[in-house]
Order: sequence, then structure tokens, then C-alpha cells
Amino acid sequence: MAVFHCAVCRQTTFAGKKHIYSKSHQAKLKVVLVKFLEKVKEARRALRAPRVEKLDATEHRRTFWCYCCGLEVQRHVTDGKLAVLCAGLLEHMATLDHKKNTNKFWWDNKADPKLKGKFLVTAEEIERFKSAVSKALDAFEEEEDTLLKEQADIIRAQEQHRQEVLQSLLEPEPETASSGSGQQEAPEAGPSVTLGPASGSSSCLRALGSMEEAEPCWMDPLEQSHWPEPETSLTFIGYQDSSIYGNIHTGAIPPWLLDDPQEGSSSGTVQEIGPSHQEFLKHKEKEKLKKLPANRVGANFDHTSQTDANWLPSFGRVWNSGRRWQSRNQFREEEGQAGRKAKKRRVWSKLGQKPQKPPQ
Amino acid sequence: MSFLLPKLTSKKEIDEVIKNVAEKVLVLRFGKDDDSVCLQLDEILAKTTHDLRNMASIYLVDVDRVQIYARYFDISYIPSTVFFFNGQHMKVDYGSPDHTKFVGSFKTKQDFMDLIEVIYRGAMRGKLIVQSPIDSKNIPKYDLLYHGI
Repeated sequence: MAVFHCAVCRQTTFAGKKHIYSKSHQAKLKVVLVKFLEKVKEARRALRAPRVEKLDATEHRRTFWCYCCGLEVQRHVTDGKLAVLCAGLLEHMATLDHKKNTNKFWWDNKADPKLKGKFLVTAEEIERFKSAVSKALDAFEEEEDTLLKEQADIIRAQEQHRQEVLQSLLEPEPETASSGSGQQEAPEAGPSVTLGPASGSSSCLRALGSMEEAEPCWMDPLEQSHWPEPETSLTFIGYQDSSIYGNIHTGAIPPWLLDDPQEGSSSGTVQEIGPSHQEFLKHKEKEKLKKLPANRVGANFDHTSQTDANWLPSFGRVWNSGRRWQSRNQFREEEGQAGRKAKKRRVWSKLGQKPQKPPQ
Repeated sequence: MSFLLPKLTSKKEIDEVIKNVAEKVLVLRFGKDDDSVCLQLDEILAKTTHDLRNMASIYLVDVDRVQIYARYFDISYIPSTVFFFNGQHMKVDYGSPDHTKFVGSFKTKQDFMDLIEVIYRGAMRGKLIVQSPIDSKNIPKYDLLYHGI
């Protein structure tokens, strides 16, 4: 029994040709053809107007699967630098083998014959395509050339501009070099070079030379001469003259190591940084306290509270009735009564009578 | 022996001591310096002061000098020893009728030290009343009488 493998359904059916007419097969076939058709449409567009592009290795080396022939075919045609889009597809479709295979495919799978025409490319079409491609290639090359020329022009212009500015700087520099106190190095190009200077940049430089004592850096003046006029939104606080105190370059002592100029005027005491010895001891005590259990008796007792003369500690008395803290009130009441009784006794003794009940 | 221990003579002094002793058991002995039982107790207290210096502070009070506290603490027998911790009064169940104070003297130094340790541990755990570790036959017996009778 011959095993018949249907490539479209990706199944092995023993039925032979019968399953081709089944619904599932036709549906799958439709899907396959639609997918293929999209690729072909793109290729036909390219046929009419071929495009040439710079080779992009990831994109342009793609292959596609031709269902009719059962092969993988190169999609675009490349020669290392440029690529003609979809040319590979078109060329393949023009071959005789592809034609035969397409016919066979259509007959085997009983596909719609109307679609078949779209998948084939005739010889005339391919000839037209080839000529169009060559024209496109030429056009592309021309474009590339023009682009290159433009870029070259730009670069040349920039170079020219730089040279001009450079030369303009050489003129005022010999002046400042002679007047300065030797803090600047001698310029590289000798002062004998005289060229037409840009007036704006020279005035800029003079200002720079007097205010800053930095060495002339060839790049800095170039950039600063391109600096636009400063806007007035920033507050100007004046030029900082550090010639008295010196700066890092002269090796002066930094301000935070110098004595405070206001120190001597306020008081002569030396201020110590950090806690004193007493505070340190207290801190140690506090640390120890923290380690004690938090639920110990009297943890929240304020040891430093000031109490008056009538204060009594929290004592649960022997004969009191009620809560512990009420014992204080009870005691005070008892004291009050005892005080009154004592007064009575004193009164009685003054009167000369004996008291009724002896106190126990 | 009582001359070795600090004495408190006024209510103000006692108040200050109660307030200022922190994180240690405060032992206040109420009695008279010439009473025989007081002398025994004072000897034990003096000898154990050094060993218990991290757990307890011991003071002597004369009951005749500070009458108000003698009444407040209901002291009817001397010597009576009252325990405080962080300003809070600590009660101990000795098996005797009065839990608020220890009446009489201790048999041995070790008894007193055990008692102090139990009070300290109980206080650290937040207990206001603890069980005495002293054997009941070593505890002096007395009758507790209500003065109104």
C-alpha cells in the first residue's frame, strides 16, 4: 500500500486522492495560498518599480519557501553591497521548473485555477524587470555620489572656518604674551604670523587674558568665541580676585583649615566639638537602661520629679481596703481624723478633764 | 554594726532615697539601734551590703524619728524591713500574715541574699508580689493585731 503524504495538510493519508476534496484540506490549502500570495504581490510591485537599497545583512538575506517546488529560494538579490528587493523571488518564478511544479501543484491539490496565473511570471515580464533593475541601479549610484559630494562640501567648509578663527587668534596673542607676567606659555605658532583676524574673537580674548590666568588652550578660545552673548537672567556678583589669598594652583591653605576670622571677636573660649565628659557618662547610663526589660516594676517611674512635703510613696498598707493607690488617700483621711482627735485631747486637758477614751 | 550602714532621719530624706534609687532594690529597715533583734538584723545587713551592691541599697530608719512613715507602713513590730523598687513597694509572701514587710531578723546571711535576689528578679519581670525563698521555719512568727480591737 503506497503511503501518500500530503504536504499541505502535513498528514499521511492512505486514502490517496480522495482527501483532497475534503473540507479541511481545502481550507488549509487556502491559507497556504493566501500566505504565498502576499509575498508574490510584493514581488509584483517590485517588478513594476524595482528598488535598490544598501545591503542590510539581517534583512536582505532572507529566504522563503516555495510551496510549489518545495524549495527554499533567496528572496532578494545581493552582490555584497547593494540589494535588489524581491528580485530573487521573481527570478525563481520565471524559471521553467517552477512553472512545471506550479502546474503539478495545482492539479494535485485541486486548487483554484484562476489563482494560478498570479504565481507565474512570464519571460517578457522578467526581461522588463531586468532592464528596470539596471536603470534603478544607475540611479542609485548617482544618488550616492551626490550625497557624498554634499558631505565633503560641509566638511571642507567647517575646516575652512576653523582655520580662519585660528589664524585670527594668532594676531592678538603676541600682544598679550609680551604684556603678561610670564604666566602664559608662548603660543605655538610664532607671533610673526599675521592674518586677517575676526574682530569679535580678538576682543573676547583680551578680556579672557586679563581676567583669567589660565593657560591658553587652543580649543577653549575657539569655543568661547562661538559663545553667544550672555543673557541677563543670571546675577553677576563681581570678579573674584584671589591674588591676595591665593588658590589651589598657588598652594594656599584651604579656607576650612584657617582660623575663623570671627572667632577672636566673640569670645576667647575654645569650642570643643562633641559631647562633654558628663554627657558621655549620662549617655552610657542611658544605654544600660535601654538594655533592662521594659516591663520591669517602675520602668516609667520619674526619678527626678520634684515632690512636696506631703508626698507618700506607693505602699499597699496592711489594713487598707481597696486598691493600692487608694491607700494614700485612706492614710491621709486617717491622719486627718487623728489630728482632730489630738486637738480634742489637748482641749480637754486644758479644761482639766480626762479624755473619754484612751488612745491606743 | 549599724554604724556601717547609712541612716535616714527625716521624711524628706526617705522620700529622696525612694525616688533616687534606680534599678535596684531599696531596703529600708525600721527599728531602733539598741534593740537586740535589730542588732542581729543590722549585722546581717552590714555584712551583705558589699555582695549585694549591684542589686540592692540598704538604709536604716529610726522609728521614733519618723513617725509618719511608721504609721503609713503600719509598723507595729520592730525590726520591720520594707522593700521598694523604682519607687514601687514590693510585697513578698513569706507565709506570715503581713506581706507588706519583713518582720524580725533573718536566720542567715544567705536567706537575706536569696530574698533580695528573688525580689530583684520579680521586679525585673514586672511582678509586684513575689514568693519568699526562705524556709518557713526560719521566719519569725508574730501575731498581727488590728489596733482598733
